[in-house]
Amino acid sequence: MDDVLKGLSLIFEFKNIMVIFAGVLIGVLVGALPGLSSPMAIALLMPFTISLDPVAAISMMAALYCAGTFGGSITAILINAPGAPPAVATALDGYQMAKKGEPGRALGLAAVSSVIGGMISIVIFLFATPLLAELALKFGPIEYFGLALFALSMLASMSGKSSIRNLIAGVTGVLISTVGVHLATGVERFEFGIPELSEGIKFVPVLIGLFAISELLTQSKTLNDAVERMNAKALRLPTIAELKALKGTILRSSGLGTFIGILPAEGSTVAAMMGYNEAKRFSKTPELFGTGCAEGIVGPEAANNAAAGGAMVPTLALGIPGSGTTALILAALVMHGFRPGPYLITETPHMVYAIFGAMFIANIGFLGIGLVGAKFFSMITFIPKRFLWPSVLIFSLIGSYSYSSAFFDVWVMLLSGIIGYFALRNGFSPAPLVMGLILGGMLEETFTQSMVIYDSNFFKFFDSGVFVFFFILTIISLSTPFWGNIRRLFKKK
Amino acid sequence: MSDQSSHNLAPEKSGAKMFHRKDLWLASILIAFGAFMYYEATKFPSAPMVLGDTLNADVFPRILVVMLIVLACILPIEFKITPEKIEKIDKERNEKTIPITWITIVMILTIVSLSSFLGAALTMFVTAIVFPLVWGEKNYIAVAIYAVVFPMLVYLLFHEVLGLYMEPGVLEYLK
Repeated sequence: MDDVLKGLSLIFEFKNIMVIFAGVLIGVLVGALPGLSSPMAIALLMPFTISLDPVAAISMMAALYCAGTFGGSITAILINAPGAPPAVATALDGYQMAKKGEPGRALGLAAVSSVIGGMISIVIFLFATPLLAELALKFGPIEYFGLALFALSMLASMSGKSSIRNLIAGVTGVLISTVGVHLATGVERFEFGIPELSEGIKFVPVLIGLFAISELLTQSKTLNDAVERMNAKALRLPTIAELKALKGTILRSSGLGTFIGILPAEGSTVAAMMGYNEAKRFSKTPELFGTGCAEGIVGPEAANNAAAGGAMVPTLALGIPGSGTTALILAALVMHGFRPGPYLITETPHMVYAIFGAMFIANIGFLGIGLVGAKFFSMITFIPKRFLWPSVLIFSLIGSYSYSSAFFDVWVMLLSGIIGYFALRNGFSPAPLVMGLILGGMLEETFTQSMVIYDSNFFKFFDSGVFVFFFILTIISLSTPFWGNIRRLFKKK
Repeated sequence: MSDQSSHNLAPEKSGAKMFHRKDLWLASILIAFGAFMYYEATKFPSAPMVLGDTLNADVFPRILVVMLIVLACILPIEFKITPEKIEKIDKERNEKTIPITWITIVMILTIVSLSSFLGAALTMFVTAIVFPLVWGEKNYIAVAIYAVVFPMLVYLLFHEVLGLYMEPGVLEYLK
């Protein structure tokens, strides 16, 4: 109880409240703007939060994460251009409702269902995180290795164009994490005579490059694209009767979203699509989906915001990111000197409750911002790309340089961005590489420790029941994306 | 029809092709990269005896490289396993990279190369003025205002408020 009060009291300091609202504002802004995303904003903010108190910094990012998921629905509804991938499902019915002359109602439904989904997942996060952490305290290196392996295998079913490419990106991320001095033996690996590489490749410049620069290059070909815009006069909250009629959909989607968020690597995008599909499946009028149906908005919105809270559970309790964005929050925790995992709960429990408080405030914050600022945010889409993207580039240059005042990092950022752009064109996504980069250190450390414990006999790993459990889950998650297609192949033959 | 298919890098739906040509190139690049990293890993020295039982530094990277090569080998036939996903990827990558994107890459590389000479403030100014103009912005007054105001605000925010050190560059010699 003391830790809860301590954590909440930290959040309710005036300075931290301001920082959280800044996070909410930035989150809604970047979520609303197509091309910008929460992971990009977090990557750009990371170097600048070094000067902030760790609680304020992480709370700001958690608030940005929550708000960004909602922000994407604004442009999804008003201009059929989802500002963030999780809002793709919202656009299916949200834009149609806006076209029928009810943009305010669509935004109101999205906002309220997002808040409800977010709140439900935060409560689950509050209770599940310490329980999971307590379980994880019993894990040894072999169990952690199994868990990290399972987390990486989930990349195969992560949202993206190709499971094989996701896995390749993940393995490449882990390989990049091996650059630098090997801590166990002191051997310098893959330095190629470049002294700066002895410290390894820092993840912040890579993140900025992959998310900001590659997107800038992608956007350079759409500079002249015309966009049909729709001004929202005001966000109209749903009536109590409307909410009662939709309560089944909202609650179901919130539970589903939270569960998907808890799974490693699966995040808001998968949750939103599943939320939409399940809402349609359980609906009494599935034929209305795609024509501006309220259930088609609240289903994905409740799920995608619920996934945000769910994704924080494994991130904080196990040190395994629940989504691409929480992988960055995990990196930020490490940057600020915290040890994500069960030790975060035992050594600095107030941090967990502070994050809970920040997400709670963020969920209320974006509802308030949506109510007051819907018209303003709809005008955000009028910012010409020719001014927006040079601004992103400027922030990227400053951010990557300021991280450790090393010019080398700017070049790392650029190289990551250019390679990331061409990789994107060939169906690779940045999130799996980020997951690999973040998890790589833990994977190698636990693998090495396990091999030492078992005298380099990998088959002895299967003496651990927990490792066998995660290994089976790994096989299932690796093969699931291909079952249907392989069956089809054999049927043809 | 056969002329079209000879220029079409995506495989025909009849399934006559064994490999997807573009993915074959991609796989070759990844395999070459993997082979290079594997070779580099063989040059790592072994762990000193004084450290006792521990894995050598090359073991984990070599396992990763083997995994990377195995996955890369599946790429050229992925179109047979998940045809709809590869079709989607092909639709996007068959669009050529347009000149403005190449120009943007060159501009970014040039500005970064000059940035240690220019310093932070001038680099921001040059970025803010060059990019909109090269990208076709015709409202020169807006560009001028943006090129002055935005870098100034960013400089004030990061240098004065957040205390971030910004390289003065050539401006140092003009003081």
